[in-house]
Amino acid sequence: MNMYLHELKAYRKSTFIWTSSILVLVVLLFSMFPSFAREADEVKKLLEGFPEALRKAVGLEVESITSLLGFYSYVFFYITLCGAIQAMNLGTSIVSKEVREKTADFLLTKPVTRTQIITSKLLAAFTSLVITNIAFLIVAITMASYDKTESFSLSQFILISITLFFIQIMFMSLGVFLSVVLRKVKAVLPISLGTVFAFFFIGMFGATTGDEKVRYMTPFKYFEPSYIIKNSTYEWSYIFIGLGFVLLAIGLSYYIYGKKDIQAV
Amino acid sequence: MKAIEINKLTKTYGNNRGITDVSFSVEQGEIFGFIGPNGAGKSTTIRTLLSLIYPTSGNAKIFGKDCIQFAPEIKKEIGYLPSEVFYYDNMKVMDLLKYSASFYKKDCTSRIKDLAEVMQLDLTKKIDDLSLGNKKKVGIVQGLLHEPKLIILDEPTSGLDPLMQQKFFDLLIEENKKGATILFSSHILSEVQRLCDRVAIIKEGRIVKVEKISTLKENNYKKFKIEMPSKIDKQHFNISGVNNLEVKDQTVSFLFKGNINSMMNKIAEVEISNLWVEEPDLEEIFMHYYEKED
Repeated sequence: MNMYLHELKAYRKSTFIWTSSILVLVVLLFSMFPSFAREADEVKKLLEGFPEALRKAVGLEVESITSLLGFYSYVFFYITLCGAIQAMNLGTSIVSKEVREKTADFLLTKPVTRTQIITSKLLAAFTSLVITNIAFLIVAITMASYDKTESFSLSQFILISITLFFIQIMFMSLGVFLSVVLRKVKAVLPISLGTVFAFFFIGMFGATTGDEKVRYMTPFKYFEPSYIIKNSTYEWSYIFIGLGFVLLAIGLSYYIYGKKDIQAV
Repeated sequence: MKAIEINKLTKTYGNNRGITDVSFSVEQGEIFGFIGPNGAGKSTTIRTLLSLIYPTSGNAKIFGKDCIQFAPEIKKEIGYLPSEVFYYDNMKVMDLLKYSASFYKKDCTSRIKDLAEVMQLDLTKKIDDLSLGNKKKVGIVQGLLHEPKLIILDEPTSGLDPLMQQKFFDLLIEENKKGATILFSSHILSEVQRLCDRVAIIKEGRIVKVEKISTLKENNYKKFKIEMPSKIDKQHFNISGVNNLEVKDQTVSFLFKGNINSMMNKIAEVEISNLWVEEPDLEEIFMHYYEKED
């Protein structure tokens, strides 16, 4: 418990900054919607002028963009990008910062098991992400109800919004795994930005070619808002794959960290 | 039951560093020195005891329990001070010490205050703002605050001024009197000599010798320095038992181990103008161990 609270405190600042950035992004994006909706025909005409490949790559669907959920599905992509970076940062930091700040000796010579250390750190990171998501959900729903021109399905809106959390958990797990496997992570940001954008572009590429298989390769494409709007549910195969990936990454992290030699600095 | 029992401990890395067949044991209540030059394997041995790294073969027991298998349990009784201390920079000293104390199920507040007073450590400062010596003090308080039964120190004195070193040693002696066992690793021999009962000497990953400090110092070696009026024949003193033979101008000096009478006879054969026979300090004996195989 003491480790959990300590870790939570350590992430306090970064959680606050990331959460605020995402909230500002949400407010900004939603404030664009009323003008979109007002001049729907103009906007559609303008967007149809864009090359089809580009529209597909960025996930623009001209037909639905002027409805609230359609607009939300489009801009949500960028919110997940921001969220993914936050989660990846967090995941990569939690183990590697002990090595970087040379505090691993402090923690590991205390009467605790390595499993307890990882568990506390994971729970703290998890808590940070939950806080971010709750704040995000509240603000997003508030903005949406403020913006709405016609009624929209709140449950679908929430279904879409919650996928931010799923994507974040996947990236956090990947980050934890990387930071355990790599001998020393000198700086977190290059790794997290690099990884997140790699997956981001894989997603864009896959959308352009329309290749279904590519979707399995990037968490960004596991939850298609268009599918959720149509069916009011998730594509369960992706949920299971995502869950499997998270369990595998976390499980391996526990195993490797338990066996790892902590080198002197 | 021994405080520490190391049995054929081996750790190999990809390259050649590491330790080979390290075996020695430390009695309860002992202050045990662990000396060797940098890179000889002191830290590797200590880090294995603390299960920071895992041995390739062999094992070690602390208070009769395997140091890997029962690591969390054993660590309740261990206080560890690493050679380089780095702590969570953005914490205040007191917060860090409280965090450290929170791992042990006892109230350490008054103990922290006492230790900080002895070491003249300002508890309200941020760790980030501390000098190296003051960070070291945080490390000392951190290592001692839960009154451990076994104190493991890895080159603990670097960065401490002589006055603080003395206070630190007094603290250690006090803990030792209360029953704590101390494993003191260092490459500075004078401090080991000052503090320890017995010593293990490690060289290139192997234990060269485990000996009582007093035996090392008194029984084995005498340091001879002889001044002569005439030219010196170096070979005259080059008999068995003589080490570190050196001739400088009119004086010859060496370490001698063996029957003192045979040396006195040897000296009587030549004309001398002055003679010193001294106890060598550990440093000189130690150099001898290291140079022997060169």
